[in-house]
Amino acid sequence: MACYRVHPIHRTLTSGLSRRDFLTVGAVAGLGLSLSDFFAIRSAQAEQKHYDFVEPTAQSVIQIFLPGGMSAQESFDPKPYAPIEYRGELGSINTNVDGIVFSETLPQTAQVADKLTVIRSMTHGEAAHERGTHNMFTGYRPSPAIVFPSMGSIVSHEYGPRKNLPPYVCIPNQPNEYAGTGYLSSSFAPFSLGADPAAGGFTVRDLARGADIDDTRFARRRSALEAVNDYFSQKVKADAVGAMDTFYERAFSLIESKEAREAFNIDAEDAKLRDEYGRNEAGQRMLMARRLVEAGVRFVTLTYGGWDHHANVTQAMRGQMPAFDQAFARLVRDLDERGLLDTTMVIVSTEFGRTPKVNNQAGRDHWPKVFSAVLAGGGVKRGIAYGATDATANEPDINPIGPEDLATTIYRCLGIIADKELMAPGDRPIEIVKGGAVRQDLLA
Amino acid sequence: MHEPIRLKGPLQTSAPLHLAKGVLSVVLLFASTSARAEEPAWTSLVLYPPEISLSNSADYQGVVVVATRADGVTLDVTAEAELSVAEGSLAIFESATVRPLADGETSLVAKYAGLEASSKIVVAHAADQRPVSYMLDVMPVFARAGCNSGSCHGAARGKDGFRLSLFGFDPSGDHYRITREQATRRINLAVPNDSLLVEKASGAVQHTGGKCIEPGSKYYDFLSRWLADGAPSDAGSAPAVSKLAIYPPAAVMQGEGTTQRFIAVATYSDGTTRDVSDLARIATNNENSTPIDESGLVTAGVRGESFITARFDVHTVGSQVLTLPSDLQFTASDEVPANYIDTLVANKLNKLRIQPSPLCSDEEFLRRVTLDIVGLLPTVEEYHAFLADEAPDKRAKKIDQLLAKKEFSEIWAMKWAELLMVKTVANRVEYKPMFLYASWLANQIADNVPINEIVRNILGSTGGTFSVPATNFYQLEPDTQKTAENVAQTFLGLRIQCAQCHNHIFDRWTMDDYYGFTAFFAQIGRKTGEDYRETIVFNSGGGETKHPVTGQVMAPKFLGGETPDVAGKDRRQVLADWIASPENPYFATSVANRVWAHYMGVGIVEPVDDIRVTNPASNPELFDTLGAKLVEYNYDFKQLVRDICNSNTYQRSTEVNESNAGDLRNYSHALVRRVQAEMLLDSISQLTETKDKFRGLPLGARAIHIADGKTSTYFLTTFGRAKRDTVCSCEVDTQPSLSQALHLINGETIEGKIRQGKVIETALEAGKTPTEVLDEITVRCLSRKPTDDERNKLMALIGEAEKPVAELQDAFWAILNSREFLFNH
Repeated sequence: MACYRVHPIHRTLTSGLSRRDFLTVGAVAGLGLSLSDFFAIRSAQAEQKHYDFVEPTAQSVIQIFLPGGMSAQESFDPKPYAPIEYRGELGSINTNVDGIVFSETLPQTAQVADKLTVIRSMTHGEAAHERGTHNMFTGYRPSPAIVFPSMGSIVSHEYGPRKNLPPYVCIPNQPNEYAGTGYLSSSFAPFSLGADPAAGGFTVRDLARGADIDDTRFARRRSALEAVNDYFSQKVKADAVGAMDTFYERAFSLIESKEAREAFNIDAEDAKLRDEYGRNEAGQRMLMARRLVEAGVRFVTLTYGGWDHHANVTQAMRGQMPAFDQAFARLVRDLDERGLLDTTMVIVSTEFGRTPKVNNQAGRDHWPKVFSAVLAGGGVKRGIAYGATDATANEPDINPIGPEDLATTIYRCLGIIADKELMAPGDRPIEIVKGGAVRQDLLA
Repeated sequence: MHEPIRLKGPLQTSAPLHLAKGVLSVVLLFASTSARAEEPAWTSLVLYPPEISLSNSADYQGVVVVATRADGVTLDVTAEAELSVAEGSLAIFESATVRPLADGETSLVAKYAGLEASSKIVVAHAADQRPVSYMLDVMPVFARAGCNSGSCHGAARGKDGFRLSLFGFDPSGDHYRITREQATRRINLAVPNDSLLVEKASGAVQHTGGKCIEPGSKYYDFLSRWLADGAPSDAGSAPAVSKLAIYPPAAVMQGEGTTQRFIAVATYSDGTTRDVSDLARIATNNENSTPIDESGLVTAGVRGESFITARFDVHTVGSQVLTLPSDLQFTASDEVPANYIDTLVANKLNKLRIQPSPLCSDEEFLRRVTLDIVGLLPTVEEYHAFLADEAPDKRAKKIDQLLAKKEFSEIWAMKWAELLMVKTVANRVEYKPMFLYASWLANQIADNVPINEIVRNILGSTGGTFSVPATNFYQLEPDTQKTAENVAQTFLGLRIQCAQCHNHIFDRWTMDDYYGFTAFFAQIGRKTGEDYRETIVFNSGGGETKHPVTGQVMAPKFLGGETPDVAGKDRRQVLADWIASPENPYFATSVANRVWAHYMGVGIVEPVDDIRVTNPASNPELFDTLGAKLVEYNYDFKQLVRDICNSNTYQRSTEVNESNAGDLRNYSHALVRRVQAEMLLDSISQLTETKDKFRGLPLGARAIHIADGKTSTYFLTTFGRAKRDTVCSCEVDTQPSLSQALHLINGETIEGKIRQGKVIETALEAGKTPTEVLDEITVRCLSRKPTDDERNKLMALIGEAEKPVAELQDAFWAILNSREFLFNH
């Protein structure tokens, strides 16, 4: 297992004010960093809670987010013994783990249940989409005073790029504003593919040099660029310029590494495997994600579908779930076959659950009190169901777990102690996650 | 979780605290006099509050005396100053507090270092005892102790079975929940101190929130006496808080450990005032520079700027505090200000002991001002002409030249179109009305119609979306509440969204304000015109807004203003007149701040559409003055732009010195800004002599001309063009990204345009030498000649060929990829 290196930024954080620090500090200026903040940051650096990295079990994360609030009753937490108005119209099926039952919508996933940790007791209090989404992406409740960074941006901040690839990639695009950098510098923003891998003729733009730009010309361009940049970088020290410098460095390493660029070439995948994932959004996005983490990307976020089923939840699930089921089951098996599942954590989550009782439009409304999430690999147990809901999926009955604990546990697998503080504007050192606990029961 | 609060009234705490501070400041003065020969003299003395009204026997008022030095440093001299009541039989002064003795008028006089200050004292009803009041005494306890905060009982569902309205927006409901929701559970009128309300709050029984009120404290006493009186409610009859003030209103503290006490004074609708320092929540926004204790005492920490806020009832007020190290050597710059802007900026910088950067070079100025005013780069001819011009006022002339160009108004038409969300919307706004709206807006700005008139025309508009394009404003956002929120944010810079569900936490806005403001938009009628793409917007004359808590119909009320007579009128026109009027307290400052932010890179209030007490202006005097100037100029913002661009402040270098390296909000140096998407693309097309084709526009149109927010290109989207989905100023994104770098390096924009425009080929064919071509493209893109070092390095790469097309193209590519090109500096 490759050892994680501490990103250079952090070496300088403790030892006075370097230019890097200045960049990190200044980069939050867009959020209103004032002179006071600048001085305060200098003085507060010494007071930040700091932890070293611990030995990670997960080298990479694939975060599959199902926006809209997927019904747990119609997926990972069916209630076959509840009255029909709670149970819904869909039946349930056994999985390959004794005692764990899924909805009939997940036949293929049921066959990889022995590789999953199903969390059925997720809970938080936010019934609005954007607030629930914020919770799940950041591990924080939304605050009117500060924008928190997403897990992907935190990983990018803590570890930096690997094998010339961007540390945090979104497929196809950054799915919502909470998947961004929050109070951190824009250098830690996700790289968006900008196109859907399921689309015909998919390519990631601008990775390859123009046809008539050979090595000589490219080298000349880089030398010329360095010569022109020299003058300006000596005169001007500004955060945004520093962030642009970083992105140019990363862009060049990406362009010049064939392996790195090849990670984005989904056509290099075996056609049969592409079929097995499914030639649709769910399938090709998950396959792309696997390709990326295999090549070195640390954190991949992808979304699939829309799950806000206030009406006709049965039909909606029957429409959308099969593609997810096929792709997700194949992804888990694929990672396992390649020996990557032990070092890659797959997270399936959504912003909240849906009401216990089916409403008069045959749908279910928002229900943040309890919902399901699924983890696989990267150091979590295999084949368990963690937590449980009551008979009608009304409340978490056993082991309720909030976004703070889930995020803290995920960070722990990544080798990051989430109590560590990063510097936010308003001279506030802020914990990566505040008050979260590692749920040891989830860990293998 | 909040801090438990115990009574520490002025009587108990002020004496020892002031004693301690007295010692400190003596030491400080001694130290500084020995270190520096010339200690600036005390130049003024102020006694706060300026008026003291005492209206019952238990009333009191704490006072603060502040001395100010010639260099702006202030010191709390309450303990050192000699204070006395002129007519000793009417009031008594002790422990920094005035208490009533007998009815009458007199004054409190303070003397310090040969200076004198006084405050009027009015005593009335000195013999009367006021019973404990639910509104005046009990509700403030819930707020001060944090009971009704969002994390405790103020949560939407309450906490542990008991709910209070968030920050007390619903006193009657709170009274009901305390006294009758669960009869006899929460209060015990027979034995008041056995009431669960009291026992929980004081920690006598298990309470999730812990002990919030100390038994025996003033807060405990209020609750206890109120219950003993039978827990009456005077909601609706008690005088309301009409104003809150924090004193001193600003401070400049020098030396770590120096202290300054802050007091809060409320003015009620019956004209009385009250010392609410121990009832308000007084807080700092910067713990490192100005930590504050429960009694309102700030102890200076590290160098910085902060804001001390007091919140009481629905009011929040703030005081700007600067903290400076004691051993700072500083000589104020003797630069002559170009206009009022420089004077106001220098006032602040001098207080901060910051030395501004010098003015930028002519080359830098030319590039910056051209990009800012017309969104393009100076041409080679313009560059040479400007550098050759020896006139001392050539910068001012250049500004006037640029302001006269049509591109100036085009940029502002685009910026307003962003805020007004001009775009097509499926099934609601078709291309034709959208295009008419965009054109109308562009023409208004091109014709120099005063901005308040434009806004008046938009808000008060009636008619078809074809014939009166301004009515599209109401078509783009059909929701009443959202419209009210957008109007507040776009035209007043205020975000009132929070007050839809509860009184605003960080601002003054209450639910009453929110629904009162929403009521202006309750009577908008819409019907489809003869052409299905046209909608007729009209005043339906019917429809009301109800307060969701009380169910009461809300009369239309201006934000922070009066309730106008709207009978028989189009409510929107009444509102439009108010917003467009020179007396409007928000409109002019908010627009001026947006204009300022465009040229300076950051607003005096930032974000520009989030103006509130707790997000203060970095330079309040400048903020107000720019607004006043806009009004003075009859809302012609072009004149304001002229003032801004002619100031030294705008023309400073981006290079920093030791004292201003950390400054990002006080305009001591120019800020480096990534060029906005549209202007960047237009500049690249200009330099490469290529034309763009955008949907609905002729070949060669510029990106800033795109009318429809839905029309974009990969380049524009990647570089953060506003989608116009919301009115938020944050829609325009100038943050760099990896996709941007990749696109500039490999993408079609630069690569394709260099090839297509044939600038290099044309220049070589015209007989220019490679060095001449290199010089020319550098001037074109960067508004400067290459340095010798650059020329040597680049010519070495270009080589000896007679017509090195590919080599020079590579140099062109490098310049267009350079940070210097991508940023305005």
